[in-house]
Amino acid sequence: METIFWILSAITVLGALFAIMLRNLVHCVLSLILFFLGIAGHYFLLRADFLGAVQILIYVGAVAVLMLFAIMLTRHVTGDEGPREVLGGKWWAGMGTAIIIAGLLWAIIRKDQLAQILPAGGAQTSMVEIGKAMVTDWVVPFEAMAVLLTAALIGAVVIALEEVIRRR
Amino acid sequence: MNIPLGDYLMLSAFLFAIGLCGALSRKNAIIVLIGIEIMFNAAILNLIVFWHYKYFAVPTAYMFAIFAISIAAAESAVGLALVIAIYRQYKSVDVDEFTSLKG
Amino acid sequence: MEHGEYLQHLARQQWLIPFFPLMAAAIQSLMKRPSRKASGALTIIAMGLSCIFALRAFFATIGGGGQHHEIERAIFNFTWFKFGTTSLGLGFILDPLAEGMAVMVAFVGFWIFVNATGYMADDENFTRFFCFLSLFAASMLGLVVSNNLLLLYMCWELVGLCSYLLIGFWYFKPAAAAAMKKAFITTRIGDVGFLLGIVMLYWKTGTLNLYTHDTLHPGALEQVSALALRNGWWGLSAASTIAFLLFIGAMGKSAQFPLHVWLPDAMEGPTPVSALIHAATMVAAGVFMVGRMYPLFTAEAGSWVLDFVMWVGCITAVFSATIAVAQFDIKRVLAYSTCSQLGFMVMALGAGSVVAGQFHLLTHAFFKALLFLGSGCVIIGTHHEQDMRKMGGLRKYMPITFWCYLIGMLALCGVPPFAGFFSKDEILLSTFHRNKYAWGLATFAAFLTAFYMTRQMFMVFAGKWRGGENDHGHDKHGKHDDHEHGHHGGEPHEVTWNMWLPIAVLSLFAIGLGFFGHKYGEYLGVEGAESVEGKAVVMGASLAVVALGLLLGWAVYGRKTMEHATDEDPLSAALGSLFTFLNRKWYIDELYDVTIIRFTATCGMFFRLVDKSVVDGILHAIAWTAWGISQVFRWIGDEFFINGGFDAGCESVRWEGEEFSKLENGRIQNYFRVLSLGAAILLLIYFFT
Repeated sequence: METIFWILSAITVLGALFAIMLRNLVHCVLSLILFFLGIAGHYFLLRADFLGAVQILIYVGAVAVLMLFAIMLTRHVTGDEGPREVLGGKWWAGMGTAIIIAGLLWAIIRKDQLAQILPAGGAQTSMVEIGKAMVTDWVVPFEAMAVLLTAALIGAVVIALEEVIRRR
Repeated sequence: MNIPLGDYLMLSAFLFAIGLCGALSRKNAIIVLIGIEIMFNAAILNLIVFWHYKYFAVPTAYMFAIFAISIAAAESAVGLALVIAIYRQYKSVDVDEFTSLKG
Repeated sequence: MEHGEYLQHLARQQWLIPFFPLMAAAIQSLMKRPSRKASGALTIIAMGLSCIFALRAFFATIGGGGQHHEIERAIFNFTWFKFGTTSLGLGFILDPLAEGMAVMVAFVGFWIFVNATGYMADDENFTRFFCFLSLFAASMLGLVVSNNLLLLYMCWELVGLCSYLLIGFWYFKPAAAAAMKKAFITTRIGDVGFLLGIVMLYWKTGTLNLYTHDTLHPGALEQVSALALRNGWWGLSAASTIAFLLFIGAMGKSAQFPLHVWLPDAMEGPTPVSALIHAATMVAAGVFMVGRMYPLFTAEAGSWVLDFVMWVGCITAVFSATIAVAQFDIKRVLAYSTCSQLGFMVMALGAGSVVAGQFHLLTHAFFKALLFLGSGCVIIGTHHEQDMRKMGGLRKYMPITFWCYLIGMLALCGVPPFAGFFSKDEILLSTFHRNKYAWGLATFAAFLTAFYMTRQMFMVFAGKWRGGENDHGHDKHGKHDDHEHGHHGGEPHEVTWNMWLPIAVLSLFAIGLGFFGHKYGEYLGVEGAESVEGKAVVMGASLAVVALGLLLGWAVYGRKTMEHATDEDPLSAALGSLFTFLNRKWYIDELYDVTIIRFTATCGMFFRLVDKSVVDGILHAIAWTAWGISQVFRWIGDEFFINGGFDAGCESVRWEGEEFSKLENGRIQNYFRVLSLGAAILLLIYFFT
């Protein structure tokens, strides 16, 4: 079990690192897919089967593909940045902040007693329970989410279609 | 499985920092969005870890994770649509060039 | 027991009665291409179905009565929604009061709709008109069959809305637009009282259902004996207070004295609307509501609320009758007559006789609808002429209309075999027992009724046709009419069958309905304990005044009819300035103009002045004080000490602003970096604490 955890962690961290470091944008997204799959593996390991499936469906199936499309619509199909500078201005500030935050989080987790907890049998939430909770106690957030997703969908379409409307 | 909570938290903290680093220092708007997605996933992983270790009431964290994923999906859709719209305007996805909000 | 179950079954189907017209309205509002035939047919069929269902329930309620004096009442309540532990219910009721009214509304409404197909035949917005009419019928029927004050109030407001829409149906006429606003706002004043009454009822009883037949959760009207013991306002018991507030609503809707001003102006609407809303049904809603809530009015013995009700009715009856004498517009005479008759009904309720009030409501609905539709026929027949001075001699041209109108007029006057005689007689009798002065005034109003109706008959139907004198007999509407009726010339003509058939049918009821007065009392479940004492006096007096009124009317207008439209009214010559006073409706509108409206305007001015002087004054005072204090400090030390430092400070702020504005460079990652820097600082604080 521990072995699986470490392997998955390595995949995840490497996927994330490559996703933000590679020059070629398409490669970035492919490595991001690797990262998403690693996270999904973690979910399976944590017995959150449903969420793992959702992770694969939504992130690997939808978000990553969406990003690939965005890249193709804004660049050449290969997604190669070419010889241009890939780092933004003041990149050192961003990187420094990220390193500071990572260090601080590491220190806090090391210091906290909470981190020593071992799993006590592990939680179980079946899909039936999720479905029931979704339409009883969580029905209001559920509906709000539905409205939000609809609004986001329409908004995305409107934003992306702006040019066409203006041309008419 | 005897992995302490701290290991998972450490993992998600590192993932978060990686995502932050990407979002803060890369020039390309799509990579910025990728960084944001990585941070989202780190946070959701945290929720599920706490759920697994029974730190919250049982379905609560799970539900939060599901809703967070939905929000992240909506966010990425809108964000990418914005990137496309901005690309039409500036013929570029370089965030350093989007300075029309300059005060 | 089987009968009770049958009633229960019917009560569960009460919602069907308003349902059909509502559907008709909905379908018409959604119809893609308006079609006159479809729209008219739909409305009439829906109303016919409602009428059938109402009749079925009506006969069911008749069937069981007789042997026992228990009122046949079946109810059907259901919960609408819940919040917390409170739940709001809605419900339908099936009892004699409701069914008598429902049958009347559906039946009279049906014939009015038939008539309207003729009256509105060449209107451009035919379908819109029928859509509104259907909606109106639905809400009125809903009002009648509701067993819940909330539902009743909703329908009540819907009825008001439909009235607003229909009065202003010809909204391009400024007078109609003004009238619709006036009607809506005036009734709203009453509705405030009504709403207060409902709120107070809910507060005191915790329910808005009228009847529940449940001892654990009794309905509002089943708690009246308890309410009569609790304290309300103005030294009244709670029951009487609620009754008083509800009656204010009824005053607005039924056009009682201080709030009557909207009803005559409402005549700007199409004539079928006047017949349906402002004569037969809507204005009766107030009277009906008082009848429905009557247990509240009588709960406390000896409260002044009933007297108040009676006197309001009495004053309205006399007051409006005097105005009706001096009007020239054919519809306005009828409008004031309606006001007056509503006054009679309210007076009967105040005098303690629900039966008399409700019975007069029913008979009046039939013959007043008849009169209004008849006047509509006259208006169409004379090419949109409404001024009685320009009519005359129509008996020759429009015989059917004339005979029907005559029956309606005799019924309204209270000539013996006709319906109005019986119901009015009952009212006068109950008033006679309650208060002799009110009876005297009411008898005077009955005399005036006979007089002004005779005047109208002679002016419209007798003598010779005076309309053709100026040009083509129509000046105001000349352009429109030349276009529509050009080939008719100025001559009046009889109307088509779909216009005279309704008034013929209604005139049958105007003749025959009166004989059921006694039966109606039994039907409502009220004991026929009316003493015969005084009956001869009352009946004799009313017969005498009616005969006197008819005679006087003949003497003034009948002996020598008007020759020309410009002739002075004979009564005007006799009464002089009093006639003008009556013609201008006692200057009530002008009085409201100089009192209430001027008062409101003055209040507005006053508050503006207060705002200007007091509020602004205070603000200015504060400002000046601060300025003064600052001046003092300035002289003491500021000039020397602080000024130099302040200038330097300003300079540094300016510099900082410039520096900080560099942060706002519009680069999104910059904001992001600052944000994460903040997060890092927060984490740092967390780590060290």
